[in-house]
Amino acid sequence: MKVALERDWCIGAGNCALTAPAVFDQDPDDAVVVLLDDSPPESERTAVEEAIARCPSAVIRLLS
Amino acid sequence: MLLPIPEEEVRPFEPPPEYAELRAGPRVVRVACPTGIDAWLVSDYEGVREVLGDGRRFSTRPGQAAHVLSAFGAGEKPVEGSAETPVQSFAQTDGPEHIRIRRNFAPQVSHARRLAELRPMIEQITDDAITRMLASPQPYLLHSQFSTAITTAVIAELIGVPGDRHHLLHDAATALFTTSTKPEELRTALEPLWRYLYELIATRRARPGDDVLSRMIEHSADSERPLTDAELTGMNGALLIAGFDTTASMITYGLVCLWQTPGQWERLCADPGLAVTATEELVRYLAAGTGLLRQATEDTRIHGQPIRAGDYVVVAVQSGNRDPDLHADGDTFDLGRKPGAHLGFGHGAHACVGQQIARMELTTVLGALARRVPTLRLAVPFEQIEWKKDSVVRGPVDLPVVWS
Repeated sequence: MKVALERDWCIGAGNCALTAPAVFDQDPDDAVVVLLDDSPPESERTAVEEAIARCPSAVIRLLS
Repeated sequence: MLLPIPEEEVRPFEPPPEYAELRAGPRVVRVACPTGIDAWLVSDYEGVREVLGDGRRFSTRPGQAAHVLSAFGAGEKPVEGSAETPVQSFAQTDGPEHIRIRRNFAPQVSHARRLAELRPMIEQITDDAITRMLASPQPYLLHSQFSTAITTAVIAELIGVPGDRHHLLHDAATALFTTSTKPEELRTALEPLWRYLYELIATRRARPGDDVLSRMIEHSADSERPLTDAELTGMNGALLIAGFDTTASMITYGLVCLWQTPGQWERLCADPGLAVTATEELVRYLAAGTGLLRQATEDTRIHGQPIRAGDYVVVAVQSGNRDPDLHADGDTFDLGRKPGAHLGFGHGAHACVGQQIARMELTTVLGALARRVPTLRLAVPFEQIEWKKDSVVRGPVDLPVVWS
């Protein structure tokens, strides 16, 4: 699985870091999403898909 | 047609029945709104998500509730304050400017680690409120004495507003959320809060504390463009005004829904850990019944319907959350439902900025009540509940309760 971000439009709502904490974190300075692992294991797929659905700004992309 | 508005005394937990037909049929129709503006009404999940999610095509500049709030409906801009206390409205700013403001806000209210720090404060305020309730005479007015007291204490503690000033945010919220408030009345009602925030900002610039306001001032001081007093007042004012009545009403309205839906309260009392999914389900089921307003910035289409630049668009959030496209049994309330991507906190760049704090408050309060007061129930027949009619924040006016 490959994950990518478009951080320009992130509003730091925190849903990704709360939904898939093994894959996403937040910058302590502006709460903007940080990718901990751009190739997470397949076991994280459901959590990543939920994070994408719950992201208000649509800044997370699942590339594969 | 006229914009359908919820009628809680007829259908306490349901959106108007027209919405099921609209979702299955035209999805986008022209409606006349209570404030006199005409708008395109979007009723299905995909359409609501599309409009809220695209801030470039659909602006919040007119105000998110200008279709139902008279104070905004005439194109007025009552949140701009006065010459002495100018206010930059956070909710009515779009694009990169809004993102800049939001990123000063987010570390304080929606960063996962910051939320973990705030949890003990919310738990303490909730426990104290339950202890006070249990020492009070019955029947007890749950909404005014419990729900509102908790959410006011949390938001005031966050920003550092002392108890003798809580009336400022209560008065401001009452005026802002009441549909019949006139623009001039709203300006008059908001001015004392703006003046107070200007004083508070000056105090915190001189003597910073550990509150959200001080942290925002400190955080932005190192940036290219530090936040102005007008911006700080707009952001913190928005958090104070929108931060207590919405969540308090969801606690009160939510409890009625849990009591009235067979088996749900009993299930929560048997497993208070279900408060997490119950919170998500209540917000999906009950939130934003009067919908949210946007304005098209360009000629565009929604589900093929041509929309002209400048046209108003109302998204029926509660209807979208009931759409079978989100959950096949969307009209069923199930507190254990695995949460989906509901739109009850909004969606897009203007999604509720306090949503994580609201979630934590709802989860804490519902779980603590289920553990400590499982006998909590209505003190009057359900039919005697009085519902708010003249407000965009829906739910009971107050709620007499008893316990044993």
